Amino acid sequence: MSNQNPTREIETREKQEVEREQTRPGIVFRPDVDIVERADEFLVTADLPGVDEPHVDVRLENGLLTIRGELGVEPEPEWQPLYGEYRLGSYYREFALSDRIDVNGIKASMKDGVLELHLPKAERHRPRNIEVRAG
Amino acid sequence: MATIRFGSPLPGESWGALDRLQRDMTRAFDRLGTIRDLGRGSPFPPVNLYETAQGYVLTAEIPGVKSGDLDVSVEGERVTIRGERRIDYPSDGSTSLHRRERQTGVFRRTFNLPELADPEKAEAVCRHGILMVRIPKAESIQPRRISVRAC
Repeated sequence: MSNQNPTREIETREKQEVEREQTRPGIVFRPDVDIVERADEFLVTADLPGVDEPHVDVRLENGLLTIRGELGVEPEPEWQPLYGEYRLGSYYREFALSDRIDVNGIKASMKDGVLELHLPKAERHRPRNIEVRAG
Repeated sequence: MATIRFGSPLPGESWGALDRLQRDMTRAFDRLGTIRDLGRGSPFPPVNLYETAQGYVLTAEIPGVKSGDLDVSVEGERVTIRGERRIDYPSDGSTSLHRRERQTGVFRRTFNLPELADPEKAEAVCRHGILMVRIPKAESIQPRRISVRAC
């Protein structure tokens, strides 16, 4: 390793296949996610390389948040594979949501193959500053 | 009279240079055609290589990498992808990270194409987190018609 560059080099894991019964053909991967909690929201960020905005589906049903993504960028059929390090497939991941989330305020956006989900906390779960008045 | 033995360090700069070369070689071999072990870390980004009628297409999964943080170069038959993946979560004072699976850091990967490429005509685009580098084969190795002049 080079000493001049203090920044860590990235490693990646092989894409993890989702272990569940599928009704659709093809491989399904479990996308990597980050979950950040802020004062007023949870932010869920998922890596969905190759998925564009029309091919991502975020759904909330019975307290279960599901993310599904299909590839919008695929190799052309006449390309001959010479060497491969990653496989192609769709993405699926689900999260159980707590009742602390204001489900009507959920916002999703897709950019550069990354899904960003903003899950606002329900009003009663947000931290409050209590004003202290002079006695 | 000085005796030079095998394995003794050469004076001055040259040892550093040799050492560096050794490290570069090890790095190169580590990254070229690595077999990906399950569960073990693999170099980022994962890459696929295809051959087309005109040349080669190299694709890489780089979700969230900005094109400004990406550098692609083609030299002879050698393609290098370098860059950095940054993920910042601005803190509002009460931010806490519940799960961190997405990796950040710098990356550099080099691949040798089976044949000489034409760097002048190589193109790279990044769409929806996939980098796609198209590299035409060098004209010198593409089939060429030779006109026959009068004998």
